[in-house]
Order: sequence, then C-alpha cells, then structure tokens
Amino acid sequence: MVRFKNRYVLCEVVSEDPRCRQCIEDRTLGHAVRDAIARVHGDYGLACCSISFTVKYLNAYTGTVLLRCRKDSYRLLCSALPFVRYLENRAQRYPCFLNTLHVGGTVRTCQKFLIQYNRTQLLRLLQNCSNEEERQCIQKSLLSCSLTEEQSQSGDEEEDDGTE
Amino acid sequence: AATFERRVLRRAAEHHYLRVRLELPDGGARPNAAQFKQLVVTALRELHGEVGAALPVDVLTYEEKTLSAILRVISSGLVKLWSALTLLSFYQNRRCAFRVLQTSPFLLALSGNSRELVL
Repeated sequence: MVRFKNRYVLCEVVSEDPRCRQCIEDRTLGHAVRDAIARVHGDYGLACCSISFTVKYLNAYTGTVLLRCRKDSYRLLCSALPFVRYLENRAQRYPCFLNTLHVGGTVRTCQKFLIQYNRTQLLRLLQNCSNEEERQCIQKSLLSCSLTEEQSQSGDEEEDDGTE
Repeated sequence: AATFERRVLRRAAEHHYLRVRLELPDGGARPNAAQFKQLVVTALRELHGEVGAALPVDVLTYEEKTLSAILRVISSGLVKLWSALTLLSFYQNRRCAFRVLQTSPFLLALSGNSRELVL
C-alpha cells in the first residue's frame, strides 16, 4: 500500500520583543519559512519542500507552530529553520528565532509531545516565579488541569493550551 | 594453479571531473577565469541556494578562446553541479548554455575523447 508520508515539525517562536506575538500568523510564518528555504536551498529546495507545506497549527500565546512537509524533504526544511531571523507583518519587522522541539510522523504524536512539554514548562515556570501572586496563579491553573472521563483527549489538550 | 581475486570499489572516487564548454553565441566580451568561476557558483546558488554555492567546485583549467574548462567537484555534489549548469541560461543578460563534453571520476580519462576520433 503506497501512500504519501508527511513529517510534522513542532517549533517554538522565541522573541525578545513582546509585540512579536501579535504578528504571529500562519501566512507570515509560512512566508518567512519559505523565504529561508529559498535562500538556503535555492529553487530546487523551495519546490521540493512546498509540495505539501502548510502551517498546520499555530498558537500565538505560547508561540507554538506545527509545520507539515513531505517525508522526503523534511531535512531540507529542518536545516533551513535556523535561518529564519525575523517575522515581517505589514512593513514591521520583529527579530525572532525558531526552536525545533519535535519532529513526528503524525499530528497525534506531536500533540502527545506538546502536552508533555507544556506540563514540564508549567512546572519550570512555577520554579522561576518571582513574586507570590504569579506563584498562586500558576499553582491554581496546574491544579485545575484534570482528566475527565468523556472527551479526555481534547479536554486535556484544551486545558494545557488555555493555561499559559 | 593461481587463484585470482577481483576487487570492485563502487563510488570510491572522491572527486568527479567534468569537461564543459560555455556557448555564447554573440560576440561580446568573454569571461576570464575568475568570472567563469563566479558564473558556476551563481548557477549553483540559483538552483541550490547557499548550500549549493558552498559546494567545493574547482576550475582546473580554463581556455578563454574556446570557453572550455575542466571542473572538479566532490562526488556527492556531481548531481547538483550538473543540474545547475544545465539550467543556467543567462550570463550578463546574454543567452548562454553549458555543454558537458566529458565526465569521469578520473582526470586521466578526460585526455582522450572517443567522440573526436579521426578514423
């Protein structure tokens, strides 16, 4: 049975500028990644990676991005990600970089990884808290993450993404 | 009776050598050796990006009169170089084309060309 296999690359947009969060959109990010691939791998690389390229999931609050590409060209995509230096939106440039977290074969594996990663990030944020109010806030949101019997998977993911 | 042993090494050569000729139909200024190398690197950059432009390509000989040259490239980059040369069509806004005359993993093999044999 021959089918087209995809690779899903999970990345995180890290930026020092807080206004960068507003301009994280799927179109701007798609253009930025495509420009980086064109610069690094030329016309051939751009055409190879664009066959099945989309921004599958985007979370502007946490800066989580899920990109999809063909399995034959995911190495070209992954090697071009460090060359994304800025995001451009309506003639405004915000310097940033992309951190690759995970490469998976399906959206489900990436989702599982993301849930695990968000859990550890919440615990780390709790440790790095500076004042008591933030600590209380994070503790409350951690304690409110719970598995319910029905809709366990979607409920889990929503809880993790809603709490920052 | 003597025992014979045959050893076959596949893809063992480090470099591949290409004899190419640049066809510039109009009679304008001919590129010198440095401009020729710049042209090859530009072709690689257009098709394969910065990674292609960083491929170790050497121009071993260059004749300005006939615009023919011998290029050396690392074996893993032969496909990239040949495809980039094939798809290059402009030199300083003039139409041009690269013709690959001979290719071999051994430089010595480029000295004789059976296509130009006079029988």
